[in-house]
Amino acid sequence: MITLSYKGKNTFLEAVNEKSGSDVLECYQCGKCVSTCPVSNFMDFPPREIMQMIKLELKEECQMANSTWFCLTCSACSGRCPREINIPAVMEAVRHMAIEENFHPDSKQVKNIRKFHEIFLDMIRRYGRNYELRMMAEFNIRTRNLFKDMHLAPKALLKGKIPLGVKSMKSAKAMKKMYEMADKLEQQSK
Amino acid sequence: MKKVTYFPGCSAHGTSEEFDQTVKMVMKTLDVEMEEIPDWNCCGATSAHTMNESLAYALPLRNLVLAEKLSNDTMTVPCASCYQRMKFTKIHMDENPELARKINTAVVGEGQYQGRVAVKSMLQYCYEDVGIEAIKTKVTSPISGMKIACYYGCLLTRPKAITQFDSPEYPMSMDRIVEALGAKAMPFDFKTECCGASFSISDTDVVLQLSGKILEMAKESGAHAIVVACPLCQSNLDMRQPDIEKKFKVRYDLPIFYLTQLMAMAFGYPKDKMMFSKHIVPVDGALAHIGEVIEEPKKPAKGKKAVKAESEVE
Amino acid sequence: MARVGVFVCFCGANIADFVDVPTVVEEAKKIREVKFAVDYKYMCSDPGQQMIRDAIVQYRLTSIVVAACSPRMHEKTFRKALSDAGMNPYLLEVANIREHSSWVHQKDKKAATDKAGDLVRMAVAKSIANEQLHEISVPVTKRALVIGGGIAGIQAALDIADARIPVTLVERSPSIGGRMAQLDETFPTLDCSQCILTPKMVDVASHPFIELIPYSEVIELDGYVGNYKAKIRKKASYVNFKSCTGCGACWQKCPVKVPNEYNMGIDTRKAIYTPFPQAVPNKPVIDAKHCTMLLKGKCGICAKFCEKGAIDFKMTDEVIEREIGAVVVATGYDLWDATPYEEYGVGRYKDIINSLEFERMVSANGPTGGLPVRPSDGKVPKTVVFIKCVGSRDKAKGIEFCSKICCMYTAKHAILLHHKVHDSRAYIFYMDIRAAGKGYEEFVNRAQVETGAVYLRGRVSKIYQKGEKLMVRGEDGQLGQEVEVEADLVVLATAIIPDKENPALARLLGISYDKYGYLSEAHPKLRPVETAKAGIFLAGCTQAPKDIPETVAQASACAAKVCGLFAGDTIKKDPMVSTVNKDFCSGCQNCVKVCPYQAIVTEDIPLGHGAKEMRTVAKINEGVCQGCGSCVAICRSMAINLAGFTDPQIINEIVAI
Repeated sequence: MITLSYKGKNTFLEAVNEKSGSDVLECYQCGKCVSTCPVSNFMDFPPREIMQMIKLELKEECQMANSTWFCLTCSACSGRCPREINIPAVMEAVRHMAIEENFHPDSKQVKNIRKFHEIFLDMIRRYGRNYELRMMAEFNIRTRNLFKDMHLAPKALLKGKIPLGVKSMKSAKAMKKMYEMADKLEQQSK
Repeated sequence: MKKVTYFPGCSAHGTSEEFDQTVKMVMKTLDVEMEEIPDWNCCGATSAHTMNESLAYALPLRNLVLAEKLSNDTMTVPCASCYQRMKFTKIHMDENPELARKINTAVVGEGQYQGRVAVKSMLQYCYEDVGIEAIKTKVTSPISGMKIACYYGCLLTRPKAITQFDSPEYPMSMDRIVEALGAKAMPFDFKTECCGASFSISDTDVVLQLSGKILEMAKESGAHAIVVACPLCQSNLDMRQPDIEKKFKVRYDLPIFYLTQLMAMAFGYPKDKMMFSKHIVPVDGALAHIGEVIEEPKKPAKGKKAVKAESEVE
Repeated sequence: MARVGVFVCFCGANIADFVDVPTVVEEAKKIREVKFAVDYKYMCSDPGQQMIRDAIVQYRLTSIVVAACSPRMHEKTFRKALSDAGMNPYLLEVANIREHSSWVHQKDKKAATDKAGDLVRMAVAKSIANEQLHEISVPVTKRALVIGGGIAGIQAALDIADARIPVTLVERSPSIGGRMAQLDETFPTLDCSQCILTPKMVDVASHPFIELIPYSEVIELDGYVGNYKAKIRKKASYVNFKSCTGCGACWQKCPVKVPNEYNMGIDTRKAIYTPFPQAVPNKPVIDAKHCTMLLKGKCGICAKFCEKGAIDFKMTDEVIEREIGAVVVATGYDLWDATPYEEYGVGRYKDIINSLEFERMVSANGPTGGLPVRPSDGKVPKTVVFIKCVGSRDKAKGIEFCSKICCMYTAKHAILLHHKVHDSRAYIFYMDIRAAGKGYEEFVNRAQVETGAVYLRGRVSKIYQKGEKLMVRGEDGQLGQEVEVEADLVVLATAIIPDKENPALARLLGISYDKYGYLSEAHPKLRPVETAKAGIFLAGCTQAPKDIPETVAQASACAAKVCGLFAGDTIKKDPMVSTVNKDFCSGCQNCVKVCPYQAIVTEDIPLGHGAKEMRTVAKINEGVCQGCGSCVAICRSMAINLAGFTDPQIINEIVAI
C-alpha cells in the first residue's frame, strides 16, 4: 500500500525532466511503449510504470528496479509515443541518477550488465578500442561463469571470427586523459 | 570520383572484418575514395552512455574533431551503433554550443569542434550519396533467384530526429538496394525489431528470445537469407543462431549476409574474397538459389476490394 | 460645457485587489469637466445601473465614463442604462481598468492604480468629443442559404422553412443525406439510420419553402448580414431531371466501373449513377471524370437506352445567383487517413479497414450483403479487433483532439458484429471510454454484457502478418501484460476531421478556421453556432466533432438565430462606421484597396461648386462597413473618420496623458 500526500515539490520528477529534456507529466499511461519495448517483459516495471512511479515520486523504487538497466535505447518507444516523450532519455536520466547516488539493484542480471559495461569501458581506456576476446574472457571470470559461450570458442577462433589480439590506438594515453576529464565533468554537474 | 571520410569502428578488425573488407571493395567499385580517420578511438557504443554521460559525448567527439582535420564534408560509418553515437553526439553538440565547449575539454590536444562534417551510416551513404541508379550500373553478376529479408535493426533509421533517414517503422532503402542487385526483397514485418544488441554477452537469454523471433518471422516470409548492415545484429543473428535453434527446438538455416557482401558479389568480386568462412551459419545453401527463377505468388481469392476505374484518364 | 460622470467599479475583488478604487475616484474628481464621480462594488448590477440613470438626470451629465471590465462584457448594458435615462447611448466611454490594469499589473499596486487613473483620464477626454450616433437600419433579404445537405443542413433547412422562410439548400454530391446515410444503425437506440433519416430527406425535397440544389457548390459570397449575394455553380449532371423518371436503365447499361464513394471504395459504381437507392433526388448524374463519352467521345449507351431521352451530353455547368440574408454552413466531416501509422501496416495489409468501411459492410444495403468480410479473401471474420484513438489524442502523428464519437460507435460496432456474426468476438483496444451522453454509459455496458466484447486498455503498438492472421500487439494495462490478438479483421476508429475544402470555403465566406480546418465559432462557450461574421452560422461537425443529437440541436439553434435575424423588416447595425469627408478626399483609392469587406467604392462628384469637370472620391457603404478602421489608417489626406473613434476623440485621449 502506498500512502500519498503533498510534501513539497516533486524534485525527482523535476530532475528527471531537466536531465531528459522531456516532460514526464505528459504521459497519459496509454501503454504503447510497453508493448513496443522489446525487453519490457524482462523489466521489473515496464516503461509506462516507471513514468507513473516518477509521478508518484517513488525514487528509490525506480532506481532499484532493473528497468533502466534493460533499456537498450532502441528508441522504438519514443518513435511511437503519442505524447512525444523521449522515453529512452527518461530511462537514462533515472539510471544516471542511480549511478551518481550509488544505487545497486540486487539482481544478478543487473550486476552482470554493469560488469559488462565496466569491462568494456576499461578496454577502451587501455587500448582506445575494444579488445573483444579479452573483454569476453574477463566477463566470464568476473561473473564467475568461466564456461559461458565456451561452446562457441572453437568455431569462432578457428574461423577467425574473434581475433586473438587487438589493434590498439597509438595515442592510448589520450584515452586516460579523456576518462579523467569526463569524470571531472560528471562531478561538476552533480 | 567521390571522397568520403571513413570510421571503421572496433569490430572492423575483429568480429565484423567481413563487413569492413567488403565495404572497401564496394566503395572502390563505386568510385568512392575512402579516407580513414587516423588513430580513431572507440565510439563508446552502449557502455559509455549507459554509465557516464560526459564520456558518452567525449569519445565520439574526439572522432568528429579528427574527421574535421581531413578535407571531406561527409563521414560514413558502417557500424550502426557507432553511427548512432556519432550522429547523436554531433546533433547535441550542434544544438548546444555550451555543452560542446565543455565536452571539448575532455578531448585533449586535438582542437575545437566546428560541426563541419556530416555523419551518415554506410547504408545511408550508399542510398543517398551514391544512389540506386549508380549501384545498378555496377552490377555485373546479379544475384537474382535469392529471396532476402532485409533486417535494419534499431539504429539505422531510429530515432527519426537523429537519423533523419528513411522510415523508422518500415524502411525500404536496403530493400531497394537489394532489388537493384537483382534479388527479391521479401515483405518482412520485423525489419526494425530489436535483436537484443549488447545483451549478447551480458544477458544472452534476451538475445536468444529477440533474435529468435526475428529469425522466425524471416523464415515465415519465405526468405533464403537475411541481410544486415550492423555488426552486432549480424553477430546476434548468426553466431547465436545455433543456440537459438537448440533452445527453441527449431531449424532456421538462415545465413546472415552483410549488405556489402551481397553488393560486392553482385559487382563481380569472387566468392572466396567475401570471407564467408567467418560466418557461423553456412551460406552456400542460400547462394545456390542464384540463377533460379522466382514464381510470382498466386493471386489470392478476389475479395470485395476496389477495382481501379477502367476509363480514368491518367 | 461638458459635464462628465465617472463611475468606477470594484468588480468584487477583480479590480479592487490590485487597483485602489477610491483613489481613482478622487483623481477623477480633480478633472475640471468631471461633475460627478463615484465607486461601486458591481456597476453592472441593477443598483449600479440605477446609479448611472439617476446621476444623468440629477447632475445633467453630458457624457458618461464607466471604469470597469472590458467593454466586450458590459458596454451594451451601460449603453442601455444611458438610453433608458434619455441619453444617446454612444455618449458612453468604457475605461477598461480590469483587463488593461488590475489583471496584468498584479505585482505593483501603485503602478496599477496610476495606470487606472490615466485610463480614466483618457476616457473622460475622449467622451467629451463623443458624438450622438444612431443605429443604422439595413434591409434584410428573408432567404437563408444552407451549405451542406447532411443531417445538420437538412435539420437547419427544415426548421427555417417551417418558420415560412425560404431556404436554398446547396449540396455538393448528387444526393442529400451525408454521412448519416452511410450508417447502418445509430447509437444509443440502434435505430436504422436510413429509416430515421429518409423521412427528413423526403420532407426537404417536398417542402414548399426549400429550394434543393444538389450536385452544386457555392463559389462566391458577397455582401453583409441581411444582404448577401451568393453565386452557386450547378455542376452539369448531363441528365435532364425534369424528363428523367429514375428508372435505372442507364446505369445498368453503363460499362464503366468507378470506386464507389458511398461504399468507401469497397465496390464500384457506374459513371452514370445515383449514390444510393434512397437518394434524394433520385435522379442519376454522369461523373464527367470517368464517362467515356465525355472524355473520348465514344459509348453513349445510356442515352441509347433512355426511353425519355433525358441524357444530354451537351449540358454545361450553370452559375446561378441568389440573394441571401443569412448562411448556415454544415459541411460535415471526413475520416483521417491513417497512413502515418506505419507501425500498423496501414495500406500494406488488406484486412485493415476503417470504421466507415465496417459500417458499410454491415449495412443491409452495403456491398457485402450486410456481413463484415475480410477484403483479402472474402471470408467472414471471427476474431475482429477494433482499435480506438487512431490519430485522435496523438500529438506525435498530428491530431491532438479527441474525436468524441468513436468510443460510442465502437461499442455499437461490437453489437452489430455480434448481431451479424453470432460466432465471433470483438477485441477492443482503448485508452478511455467516453460515453457522456444520455443513455450512452448504459449502451456501452450493454455492448460489453451482451456481446462478450473484450476491452483491453492500451494503445496498439504494432500489427504484423502471421500466415492468414493479423497479429495485433498491445498491452493490457489492467493485467500489466503484453497481449497479441490473432485477428481476422482489424477495424481502425480513425480521427474525424473537417471536410478538406473547409479552409477554401472559409476564405470564400470571410470567416476563420483553426489549424485542423474546423470553422471557428464566435465564442466557444456562449456563442457556439455564430461566427465572427454576422449572419453566418455553423452547424454540425464543420465546427467540431460531435454526434447526431448534438448536430441536430446545433442545426436547430442556427435556425433559431436565422429566424431571429429575419424577425423584423430591417436589421439594426452598429453605427460605428467610417465616413469620407469628400472635401479632403484626394481620390487615391488606397482605402478601396485596403477594405477587407469591399465596403468602399468610388463616385464622381463635381470638381467645385457648379463646375462641369468631375473628380473621383471614395464612398463608403455604411451598411457593409464593419468599422475596422483600416481605411482611416491608410488615408493620407486624413479624410476618413470612424464614428466613435474620430480624430478629435483620439487626439483628446493622447493629450489627456
